[in-house]
Order: sequence, then C-alpha cells, then structure tokens
Amino acid sequence: MIADPYKVLGVPPTASDQEIAKAYRKLAKKYHPDLHPGDEEAAKKMSEINAAYEQIKSMRKSENSADRGYGYSQYDPFGNYGAGQQQRSDYSIFDSVKTYLFAGYYQQALHVLSTIQERNAEWYYYSALANAGLGNRITALNHAKTAVQMEPNNPKYRRVLEQMQYRGQAYQQQSEQYGMPLSAVNLCINACITFYLAQMCCLCCR
Amino acid sequence: MFGYVVANMEKLTDEEKQHYRSFYCGLCKTLGNRHGKISRITLNYDMAFLIIFLSALYKTENTIETKRCIMHPLKLQQFLYNEITDYAADMNIVLTYHNYLDDWQDDGRILSFYAAKLFEQEYKRIASKYFKKCAAISSCLSELSDIEKSGEPNPDVPANCFGQLMSEIFALREDEHTEGLRAFGKSLGRFIYIMDACLDLKSDLKNERYNPLAGFSSADFKSILILLMADCTEAYKKLPIEQDNNLIENILYSGVWTRYEAANKKTKGRQSQ
Repeated sequence: MIADPYKVLGVPPTASDQEIAKAYRKLAKKYHPDLHPGDEEAAKKMSEINAAYEQIKSMRKSENSADRGYGYSQYDPFGNYGAGQQQRSDYSIFDSVKTYLFAGYYQQALHVLSTIQERNAEWYYYSALANAGLGNRITALNHAKTAVQMEPNNPKYRRVLEQMQYRGQAYQQQSEQYGMPLSAVNLCINACITFYLAQMCCLCCR
Repeated sequence: MFGYVVANMEKLTDEEKQHYRSFYCGLCKTLGNRHGKISRITLNYDMAFLIIFLSALYKTENTIETKRCIMHPLKLQQFLYNEITDYAADMNIVLTYHNYLDDWQDDGRILSFYAAKLFEQEYKRIASKYFKKCAAISSCLSELSDIEKSGEPNPDVPANCFGQLMSEIFALREDEHTEGLRAFGKSLGRFIYIMDACLDLKSDLKNERYNPLAGFSSADFKSILILLMADCTEAYKKLPIEQDNNLIENILYSGVWTRYEAANKKTKGRQSQ
C-alpha cells in the first residue's frame, strides 16, 4: 500500500475521477516501458504509478458501494471475517476466504481479500484462485505469478501457476502444427472494401 | 468486430479456401438483399466465422449457387446461404449501427452520425425481431462505454463485458447448445477485446487515450493472449462440431494471430533498421 497515492499521481485527493484518469494517462505517456524501452528508471516509476492508480480506483469503488449500502458484510453467510483483524494465534485471516472459495462464492472471497491491508504471497495466491473462479483470467494469472515471485519455494503457489500455464502450452502445441500466419492482410478484402467505398461515394454524389 | 477472426489461408487446401469464400460471398449477397446494397460495406470475415461455426454445429441445410459477381466479373463464384447467414447479416447491422452511434456520441464524428442514420431503419426492423437480444447487446455496449470512460485499470472488467456481448451473438437460440455457445462466445470475445487493446497500446499511450492494458508491458501480452485462446478452444472442444473442423481449427489455432504477427513483424523490422 502506498501512503499517499494521490501524491504519486500529482493530484489532490479532491480531484474528480476524470482528472485522476487524465493525470494517470499523462504519466503513462511519460514513463510506460513500451514507449521507453530499456529505461529501467521509467519502468520502476511506471509500476509505482500503476499501483497508486489502482489503489485510488479501488478505494473510490469501495467508498461508492458503502455509500449505496451494498456492502457484503450485511449478508455475510459465514460471518466473522474481519477488517478489524483481531487475530487469535490459531486463527488465520484467510480462513473465511478459504470457506468462500470452497463454496464457490468467489465474489465474496474477493471482497474479504480487498479488506486485507497486508498483501503477502498467500494473499496473491487466494486472489488468483478467486479471480480464476470469476473468469478474470488476466488478474488470476498475474496474481499467481506474484505469489510465486514472492515465495518461489512454495509448491502450492507454483502448482496453481503451472496449472494455468499448462493449459496455455496445450494450446500452443496444437497451434504450432498450423504455424503462424505469414501474409498480413488478404488483399482481396481490401479490394472489396475499396470497391464498396467507391460505390458509396457514387451514391452520395447522385 | 475487428477483423481478428480470420483463416490462415496458406494452410488451407484449395477446396477449403473456396468453401471459406463461399460463406463470405454468401454473407455479402445476403447483406445486400436484406439490408440494401450499402450494407455490404460492413462485410467482414469475423461474421463469416460466426456463420461457419454455427452452421457446423447445427448442421444446417445449405443452398449453394455458382454465379458471377460484379467484383470478379470473369470468375464464377460460389455463394453459400442458410438460415444462419440471415441471422449473421442481421447481427452485423446491429453491431455496425451501434459502432457508428458510439463514434458519434463519444467523439462527435459527424460522418459517423450520418452512417448511423443510414442503418437506423434497418436496425429498428431487426430490433423488433430480436427484441431481447438487441436489448442485451445495447446494454453490454453502454456498460462497456461506462467502464472505458471510468478509466478502469483492471483489464478483466471490460474484457468480460465484451465477452458477454459476444456470448449474446453466438447464442443463436435457446436449446441444448446455448450454454456451450455462450461459453465459447464469451472467451472469444475476451480474446478479441484484449487483442485489440494490445495492438492499440502504443498509439493509445501516445494520445493519452484509455487502454485497458496501460498497466502492463507488451512483454506480458503473448502469454495472456495464449491463455485466453486456450479457454476458447477448450469451449470449442466441448461443442459437438463434426464438420468443417479443419477450417474452424485453422482459424482458432492460427488465423486469429494474423494481425498480431503482422504488427510484431512491423515493429521488429523497424528496430532492425
């Protein structure tokens, strides 16, 4: 968590959503690694900017849903997870997340995760599972990768990432039988489009 | 759609090529007959794929005509029609109409306004026929527009929304295949949306426009796209499709990478210069 994400983006906390998005895009243009290949300083700066932007977005989202009164805690069937984080030594904050995941309540699992401040490898592992269950493929992959990066020797984390990557490999193997396409654009399509555009002009002129 | 769902022509036999074209030409003729000549400017291979895919699943009875076409006056062309060609032509008009309307509302392009007007009447006719479907499509598109305007940093959010839209299009009717088709359409839609974001990333960054992958670097894209296509082909395998499999698999395993490969070649070429 960044102490003052607004400062990173250079906007006041009172800034509108639009102003924040604008500030983010301006900074992305300045630091994104695709526009500045090989510049490690810029890449570092960009990941800080990304983290700040994500943090502001998720903060505002949860504020909004609290305002409108549909927090999950109101109909929490398993109860007792805590933003309060009163932990007994034998109680893990991830217990309720596990229960939700097991029952297939992925959205609720994700919500509990969002209340946990400290994001360690275990947090990323459970987030990967919850996101995978919801069909959030990109987040699931990224969080599985992060969990493994943070704790490379944990076999549980590695297994989840390997499972995801295995499915990709199966696709790639079959893909290789066809080979990648070489010719960029079928010329005929272009010819057809040009023809009908020309025809359209004729219609307009008449 | 965006012209990503095409075949890798080099790996098709001559017969398959002709078969593929006959779907495309059939769609072109159907567009002209149903919605006026002008609607042919909306012709694309993505929709031809929809026809091939649904026709193979439903084993439709096809009418094949061989005749000349103004585009190729010297050569005889094959035209393949069935009930799905009609459906795809209708859906194509729905998407085109919304596309122009969005361009007008978001960017104020006056030409898009006139283009939308051009298709408005046809759209209304189709919307009264497929009332529920058109309502679902337009609600997906307005949700997507809100997501993009809010600057959502999580790419899964808009990708799932676009996936939902494609699942509506692939779910031809309510029957035993609906669920499988929805799953297939959803995963293909996610892939198309993310592929489009990949290829637009640089220009979007430069122009300070929304891009769902702004928080990522292009080094990560290939593995993401492969996973999305893995989902899509898994959904395909669950559907009992027993004809045109080679053509469909050519598209799903190779053709969908055509524009990605072309774009990469271009950047590589520029770097080596």
